[in-house]
Amino acid sequence: MFDIHEMETYIRGKFAEHVGLSETELFGEDLTLAALITRSARMTNSVDLMEAFARTSNGLRKDFGLRVRLPALSLDTPTSRVLEVFLQEAQAQQERGG
Amino acid sequence: MTTAPPRVARDSSEEAILDPTASGRRPVIVADLYPAITREKRTLVELTWEQQRLHESRRWSAMELVGAVDLQRLSELDRHLVWNAGRAELTTKPGADRLERLADAECRKWQGRNDAVASILQACGTWSRYWNEEEAHHETSFNRLSQLLELEPISDATFIEYRKVFPDDDMLRTLTLLSISEIVAAVNYGNCARVIQEPGLKALFKQVGADEIQHMNYFIAFAKALVDSGEYKAKEAFAVAHLFLREGGEVHGSKREHVETRGTHVNWWDQVEYREGLYSPDALEKKEALIFNALKRITGMAVSSARQVEDTWMELVGC
Repeated sequence: MFDIHEMETYIRGKFAEHVGLSETELFGEDLTLAALITRSARMTNSVDLMEAFARTSNGLRKDFGLRVRLPALSLDTPTSRVLEVFLQEAQAQQERGG
Repeated sequence: MTTAPPRVARDSSEEAILDPTASGRRPVIVADLYPAITREKRTLVELTWEQQRLHESRRWSAMELVGAVDLQRLSELDRHLVWNAGRAELTTKPGADRLERLADAECRKWQGRNDAVASILQACGTWSRYWNEEEAHHETSFNRLSQLLELEPISDATFIEYRKVFPDDDMLRTLTLLSISEIVAAVNYGNCARVIQEPGLKALFKQVGADEIQHMNYFIAFAKALVDSGEYKAKEAFAVAHLFLREGGEVHGSKREHVETRGTHVNWWDQVEYREGLYSPDALEKKEALIFNALKRITGMAVSSARQVEDTWMELVGC
């Protein structure tokens, strides 16, 4: 079993890296996904966002052995909620045995 | 009025379609565009002549087809289908205008770096003139019928709203999205044609559906050529397919639980209005199967479920 705080730190770091914003900017201001796309120089639209989620999920698979699939999230979803969903899905995966 | 369905040349050398002396042959969509340009040294003049021939061979008259509809015989469902189709078709012109501009800009970016890609993009941007013209037939036919039937009028404000231009994106994503949009439209129109009883309106929906299939084939050919060039990544095509096929994805159109409110543009599939008790042309399995087929033709990678699309895309994305 992985430590939840360790996983949270990992997800925060990876997601920020793939989005191209600092963790402070991303989670400190609890940006919505729409605001995130506007602010990130790396993002054009929802497809870029999907890709950032996918890269983070692939990282979790590689480093934690967990296969996390995210549901479609609306653009008014705040990043705190994204983090929550990631963690819920990761925990569920972990309970199912990875 | 009927026109022959568009033919797609699987191998550009299959027929001497680009040989000016072969003008007696039926025109085709050049499906293997990259080798046609790189190995067979086909020029833009030759490629656009073939586009022109195909366009001319498929021309039809909106005035004739609208005139052939017996307005008195239309059911409530027929009227509803006409109204939805007219509104949806308003969004195509900004799509075609954008494609022309984006393809030309992208073409100039590749000139000197990869001239074959520049030619593919110029062929695509040039073809958009036919796409735009053919879509004009759809839009004006359905909206004229709406008016003759005294259906809920489309205000100028709505008309202008629906002309908003979709934001720019990667060219392969754009072409894949347009392929899928044509798939969804073609399946919808085909299903509408099946349930409509009045022969004139049935013929119009069938004709428009056949046009959309032809457009889909063109978009797939251009997208495939970009992937074949090695300059565009297959993951972008899979990303767009996943956007449509995922749970709550775009393929569910206005029936999905959450439809984004955008100030930037209007996606026609978000705006289709369903009415209680009236037939709606969903046919999700058919749309999915055609999207899998499009992915295979564009990227060479075979998938047969939405889950496989997601898995393949995730693999291609990496960490």
